Formats: sequence, structure tokens, C-alpha cells
Amino acid sequence: MSVLVRRLIGSVPRGWGRFLLALALAAAASLSSVALMGVSGWLLSRAAEHPPVMYLTAAAVLVRAFGLSRGVARYTERLVGHDLGLRLQSVLRVETYRSLAKTTLLGRRRGDLLTRVVADVDAVLDAVVRVAIPFASGLFVLLATSVIVAVFSWPAALALLISALIAGVLAPWLAARFSARADEAAIAGRGDLADAVHEVGRTALDLVAYGAQDRALARVASADDALRRFEQRAAWTRGLATAIQTLAAGASVMATLAIGTAQVRAGALDHTMLAVLTLLPLALHEVFSDFTKAAQTHTRARVALARVSEILAAAPIGRGDLDASPTAETPSVSVRDLTIGWPDAAPLRSGLSFEVGAGESLAIVGPSGIGKTTLAATLLGLIPPVAGRVETRGRIGYLAQDAHIFSTSVAENVMIGDKTADEARVRDALARVRLDVDPRRAVGELGASLSGGEERRLALSRLVVGDYQILVLDEPTEHLDAETAHALLDDIWAHASGSPLLVITHDPGVRARCDRELALG
Amino acid sequence: MKRAAATRGYLIAGVLIGCVVAALTVAQARVLAVTIADVFAAAPGVNYLAPTPGSGQWPDLLPALLALGGIFAAKAALSWLNSLMAHRAAAAVKSQLRRDIVAARLADPLADRTSTAGLVNLTTVGLDALDGFYSKYLPQLALACTVPLITGVAIATADLTSAIIVAVTLPLIPLFMALVGWTTEGRTRQRWRTQQRLAHHFADLVAGLPTLQVFGRARAQETGLTRSEDANRSETMSTLRVSFLSAFVLELLATLSVAVVAVTVGFRVVEGGLDLTTALFVLILAPEVFLPVRQVGVHYHDAADGMAAADQAFAMIDASPTKPDAPRPGTTSEAVVDLRGLSHTYPGAASPAVTGVDLTITPGEFVALVGPSGGGKTTVVNTLMGFLQPSEGEVRLPERDTIAFVGQEPGMISGTIADNVALGDPSADPGRIADALRRAGAPDLDASRLVGDDGEGLSAGERRRVATARALLRIDAGARFLLLDEPTAGLDATAEATLLRSLRGSGVTVVVVSHRPAVLAEADRVVPIGVHHEGSPA
Repeated sequence: MSVLVRRLIGSVPRGWGRFLLALALAAAASLSSVALMGVSGWLLSRAAEHPPVMYLTAAAVLVRAFGLSRGVARYTERLVGHDLGLRLQSVLRVETYRSLAKTTLLGRRRGDLLTRVVADVDAVLDAVVRVAIPFASGLFVLLATSVIVAVFSWPAALALLISALIAGVLAPWLAARFSARADEAAIAGRGDLADAVHEVGRTALDLVAYGAQDRALARVASADDALRRFEQRAAWTRGLATAIQTLAAGASVMATLAIGTAQVRAGALDHTMLAVLTLLPLALHEVFSDFTKAAQTHTRARVALARVSEILAAAPIGRGDLDASPTAETPSVSVRDLTIGWPDAAPLRSGLSFEVGAGESLAIVGPSGIGKTTLAATLLGLIPPVAGRVETRGRIGYLAQDAHIFSTSVAENVMIGDKTADEARVRDALARVRLDVDPRRAVGELGASLSGGEERRLALSRLVVGDYQILVLDEPTEHLDAETAHALLDDIWAHASGSPLLVITHDPGVRARCDRELALG
Repeated sequence: MKRAAATRGYLIAGVLIGCVVAALTVAQARVLAVTIADVFAAAPGVNYLAPTPGSGQWPDLLPALLALGGIFAAKAALSWLNSLMAHRAAAAVKSQLRRDIVAARLADPLADRTSTAGLVNLTTVGLDALDGFYSKYLPQLALACTVPLITGVAIATADLTSAIIVAVTLPLIPLFMALVGWTTEGRTRQRWRTQQRLAHHFADLVAGLPTLQVFGRARAQETGLTRSEDANRSETMSTLRVSFLSAFVLELLATLSVAVVAVTVGFRVVEGGLDLTTALFVLILAPEVFLPVRQVGVHYHDAADGMAAADQAFAMIDASPTKPDAPRPGTTSEAVVDLRGLSHTYPGAASPAVTGVDLTITPGEFVALVGPSGGGKTTVVNTLMGFLQPSEGEVRLPERDTIAFVGQEPGMISGTIADNVALGDPSADPGRIADALRRAGAPDLDASRLVGDDGEGLSAGERRRVATARALLRIDAGARFLLLDEPTAGLDATAEATLLRSLRGSGVTVVVVSHRPAVLAEADRVVPIGVHHEGSPA
């Protein structure tokens, strides 16, 4: 188990207690099936000596008890294990959220970090429920069975132990190692396939309009063929691991039969024990049947959790939350000899100087990657200037081109701008951005969808309700059709008549509206 | 899995392998039972506390060991073969579905039921869930159908009473599982929704973190997250308590019936009603009857995931029109386009996107479509392109391969700018591509420049020009009809107007969606679309 998982178990109330309980229950379930076969074997052998029935009653009761305890132990183990796993997930989610919330995310090349972290955190459940508990309990059952067998015959115990280590440790390890290698090789193939499908999704209209469907289909097909060859190789090794497990089980049955017979013949072993020695391996090896799958799960979970650990350990960059700045009589922005850049990277631009007063607007233009959003983050105070001075007077707010719409009501989304806003103020803000939707309507991923223009307006309403005096707009018209964009800009300019307005843009229509222009790069 | 033709062959082979495995299992039990009983009889023991001499006839172990070795080797080889074949079947089905899904997406290019991210996810990770279905569930299902039958018959020939115990218990398993599933289904489904919502909270917050930080609200959400996590866990646990019940029933019945068989057989051996060989044979085989059935239960979730992915794929494939290009009634010689009473309502929409549009365009005409945002201009364009079959109206259109099209957000395929332009005419040489780019107002664009995913590296304006160059090549190659939807980002309207004027001189019919005076001034005719909505906000 990784350091992270161990630490998380420690941080959950009675975490280790729960873990040990799940472990004990899992071991009890597996031991029940092993013991059921062992005791039954003894029962039949002893019965063949025709003793009075009372000599068999205890064994008969035990057999029935094992028949019951297996199911019960398995059911409770799954509940206890999942409860622990879910608790670990919760703790890790909150920790990850806290860690991410501390660092400036605006404008950083975050790519798939935010989407991937959600799935990565979930891996902690697998790491405990599907890997740690089955493996640890399986090893315990293996050792316990070997010890019990050793009481009667140590050579048989040794044979059992070796075969079980091959089936329970070596084969899963091989499977995990080879499938990890095959999976790694398949990553490129998978990427190619994803790219090909992505292209179809994004350019379907053009492909169809120009009759290029076959070309696109051929590209998908060839990427699929390549991926298929990689996966075939992985399946080959996984099949091999299962075959090794079957062979190990067979070897162990044959060894215990041969050793047991020799010992009975030599008088070193009671003949009623032969059935026990031979039947135990069959039951024991069944415990390992899911280990191959568990080993592969382990590899996946380890990679995912390593990524989460990286996020947790990373030093925060800039600041997380932006503090509310006090309102000012006449808002303004003043920048002197500013050098911008990320604290952990080389400066992006230097020597920036400009002033934007109340009612003035400045277009910030330049090719992508030149540092426009970094400048915005610096102006907002999310990251410190590398050198120079930024002076803002008044509350400064930011309208992102991809402002997130939360999966909740419209009203809650507006109240991101000011959590104290009452219903009247929310309605007023919505009216001022000319968004005619019911504040109680659910929006976001699990709610009704809004058009691009409506989303932009909803995001703007946050700035309106929060009484933001300085507005920094990031590509406000991107992905909007000309008319929607035009109407939106009219409303923004009307709303921001007395505010300093800084607009990151490459849209000529927006640039034409601004008083001045600052070209980066 | 009605469509999976690739599966049928595999299923037959899987059942055959299952039969052989079952026969091997019976043989294995036989060899073990006979050998153990023989050794037992040869050795001295106790009978009612008194020592008894053994028969002293020690069996020769070698044939037994050789037989066992052969049986296990065969079983190992068969399990390997089975997993390889299962993978082949899974891969074949996945490949077929991938091709079908992509073909479906292309047959219905407007479909936005699945986002591009969703499409990519479905064709890669989503369909991988089918691996579980094919490599775990289906092989077990094949075994579950054959092994219990064959081993059950083997037990019956040895000892009928035990066979009856097994035969009574075995059908109880699916029965109880169905009963548990049936009684809890409603509750589970109800919980599922709450659970979805709670589980989504973390993803939603993380995705919205940059937004929250800008408003200084990120840290404050932690309390809410902790609360929803607690709620999520207790909801999930109460769902699991119920959904694990079916596995519980399965385990309990399977193990308990083995225990009952063991005890019953044991007491009959004491009474002398049964010999040790038969008793051991029955005991070894009894769990084997239940094992495949239990494994089916264990892998049921793999199957459910796989089926869910398959369902999603089928839904997408089925939703696409069966005939990607419905026959277009030929246009009359005097009109290139003839739309009468065109109306279209999108599925699920309350009101029609366009109503009562009449539009007749004669060759060489330059028509501008104007109208408010959301008024249906794009719906008319999509009808002209044949991307959309309108719900009402008579439609006569030119063949699609005679249309040069520049969409609102032109798509860029990955490759060079030249590759993108050459979509208009794959036979075009570099000289013609450069010429088309020049005419499209992009003489400075390097045709050999690589275009990344989503046209990365090209500005919206550059993308528009590349798409225009593409359309020009197609006109050079014989297209007589140019269709331009208004671009989303601002562009040099004058340059576009100049371009359109020059095209007009060449006799090409032009339909353009625009609101820009420079373009409208060039048009022969301005057709308003959806004017009754004018003034309403977007």
C-alpha cells in the first residue's frame, strides 16, 4: 500500500480498525471455503471407518457452519471494505480540493489536470477494496492453511506453499507487469484513435460537405487496427498468467497426493488425513483466481494515486482565493514597468505600463500564448508581479471566456458573485444582463443547457450582482455568433460605462469599441 | 448483443470448451476419489476405536499422477485458449462498433446528442468496458451453461440423492437473485439519481475552481463539499447494502448446499450405504457445479458496464438516419434551389426553429440571408446542405458535390494547411492550393504549416480563410454553388465582399448568411429569415 493510502486510513475515524475488520472478514470467508473442503474430506474418510455417528457430529456441525459463514463473512466484508473505501475517497477528495483551491489555476496550462483528477481520486477505493484487502487476506489464508497442513505433514505444507506462491504472487505479478508494458505500448495507439475520432467529431460538417467521409473512416479504422494488435499482445500474457495458475493448482494437488500417499504408507500420516491434504489445495487455489485482475487494478490505481500525490505535494503557485477589494470612489488601474510571469517559470513580458481610468477601455491584443491571461491573473492579484507595480482602486472582477456554470440553480450561479445577494438582487442582476430565465431553474451539466450567449450572460450577472467596479474580460465574444456577440458587447459597455474596462481579445469588433490598444508581443 | 455476429462463433467455441473443461473436471474428480480411497483402504486404520489392518494393496500412483498432470495441463491450455478467443471476440465487436459509431456520426453531421468529448470517450474508454463483458462474463456464462449440467449428470450417475440436493439448490440461485433484484430495483433506481448528483458535486467544483477563485469563493466551498461527501457515502452505502444482497444469496446457497451434500454423504458412508470413492467423487464435484454460476455473479458488474457501453453505442448508431443521403429530388432547370413552406422543429424543442420559408434561387444569383440570432438562418443553411431533413415543406436542392461550403466554425483536419485546402479538390497541386489561398485573402499563409488539433495555431480569421480557399478549389473543380454561413469571429467584411463580387462574375450561385452592409450591398436579393422574432435577446 502506498504512503498516501496508509496516511488516509490513519486519518479516517477508526480507519485501521475498519481495515483490519475487513481483512479479518475477508480471511474468514476464504478460510471457510478451504476449511469446508478440509473438514468434509476428513468427515468422509472417518465415516468410511464406520465409527458411531457421535464421533462425526462435531465435524458435521463444523461443515454446516463453514457453509453458512462463508457467505455471511463475504457480505459483511464487502460492506465494511466499501464503507472504508468510500470514506477514503471522501477524505482524499476534500484534501485534493483544498490543495487545488490554494493554488492559482486561472490561465495555467492545466489541460486535462482538472478532469483527470476526479477519476484519479476514485482509484483509492479500488486500491483498498480490490487490491489491498484481497491480497493481504489471501496471503494470510495461504500462510494459515500451510501452517495447519504443516502440523500433519510439513513436506505437503511446503508443496502447498510453493504452488500457492506461484499462483497467488508470481502469476499475478507477471500479468500486471506484462499488461502494464502492453498498456504502455497501447497508449500511443489509443491516443491516435482518440485523435482520429476527435477530428471526426469536430469536423463532421466539413467532412460530409466535401465528401471526405471515407478518408476519415479509413483513418479511424487504421488507428483501431493498430490498437487491436497491442491489445492482442496484452491478452496473450494475461491468458498465460491464468494458465500458470491452473498448472500451479494441478502441481499442488499432485504433490500433496504423492507426498500424502508416501507418508501414509510409511505410517507417518493417518490415512483419514490423505483426503484432507489433497482436497485443501483445490479449495485454496480458488482463492487466487481473482488475483490476476487485482494485480492489474493495482498497477492502474498506483499510477492514478501517484498523480494525486503529486497534486497534494505541489507547492501552491500564486494564491487561491482572491480577497474582495474595497470599493473606491473612482475606480482605476495603474501599471508601471510591469514584468509578468508565473512564479515557477521565466518571465513572459516586461516593461508594461498603462493607465485605465473610470469609463476608459483598453484592448489587450496579441497572439495566443503571449501572456494575456497571465497579465489578467497579475492584474487581479492572483499571482504577484515579477517586477514593477500594479495599482488597482476599486473591486476588480474577471469574466472568463469559459466561466464555469455550476450544476445548480440559476440563482446559486449568480450568487457566486455575492453570496449575500437576496432573491430581489438576483432577479435584478439577471434583468440587467438581459437574461430571461427562471432563477430557480437548474442549469449546468445535470440541468438544462444554456446557449453560449446565455452562459456568457449568466457569468456576467455574477459581476453585476457583486458590484465589481473594474472589469477584466477575457475573449468575451469567442465562440458566439456575430449578432449574439454584438448584443452582449452592447450590454457590457452599457453596464461598465463608469468602470475601467480591460479586454483581452483578438476580435476586430471588440477592438474597435475600445479606446486604446495594448499589443503584447 | 443482437448485432454481434463476431460473437456467435466465439460463443459456440466457448460452449465446446466449457463441455471439455467439465468432462476434464469429472475425470479429475474420478481419479482423485479412486486414488485416495485406494490408499485409504490399503492403510491400517481404526474401526469403532479398534485398530483395523489395511488391505495392504497399495495402488500404483504413477498412472493417477500422469492422468492428473494431463488433465491440469489440458485445463490450463483450454483456459488460455478461451481467454484469447474471448479477447478476439471483444476486439472484433469493439472494432465494428467503433466504425459504426463514427459512420453514424458522419451520417448525421449535425448530431449534438453526443459531444466530441463524449464521442471520444465512448469509442475509447467506453467501449473498453466490453472487454469485461467478453473476456470475463461471456466465458463464464458459457461455462455456467455447460459445467453444471455435465458435472450434475456425473454426480447423478454416482449418487442420485446428492444430485437431487444440488439440482434443487442450483435453480434457487437465479430465482433468489432475480427476486432480490426485482424487489430492490425501484429503490435502487431512486437512490441512483441522488447518488449521481452527490457524486457529481466534486467534479463540478473542481471544474469550476478557476471561476470560484476569481470570486474568492473557493475555500468556502470546502464545507459544502465535506457535507455532500458524507451524504454521498451514506447514500452509496445504503444502495450497496441492497445490491450486494444478490451476491450474498448466491454465495450462501452455493456453499451451504455443498456443506449439506458433504454431511448427508458422510452419514450415509457411516451407515455403509455409500462407499468412500463415490462419496469423495461427489464431494469434489459438488463445488464445481456451483463455481461457474458463482463466477457469473462475480462478473455480473463487468457485464453491466459492458452492456451500458454497448447500449450507448447502439443508441447512437440507431439514432443516425439509415440512409445517410436521402435521394434529392432534382432541381428544375431554371431554379438551383427551391424551398416551399419549409418548417423545421428540432426533436424535443417546444417551437419550430423556422416556419414557412419560401426560397427560390436561380443560377448565378447572389442571395443574402439575414435575420436575428436564433431565427433559423443556420437551419436553412443545413437544409440546403442536406444535413437536415426538414419536418415540413417541399425541398429541391442541388447535389451536395456541386456545393462549396464554408461553415460558421470551419473544421480543420489535422495535417498541413495544404491538406485542409485540398479537401476541396484532392487532385489540386501545390500551385493551385497557393493560388486558392491567395484568392481567399491569405497570401501569407504557409501551406506547409501544420494545423494541430481543432485548428490549433490558426486564428479564427485564418481558419475562415483556409475554409474559403477550400471552397474556391471546389468551385475550380466544377462546383456551381457557394454557401457561406456567417463566421463567428469578426473578419474583414470588405475583403469578403470583394471576393464574392469576383465569384459572381464567374456565374457561380452564391448564398451567404450575413448581416454586414458590405456584403449585403453586393447581393441581388436579401431574404429575411425569422424576422418575427426580431428584437428578442439571444
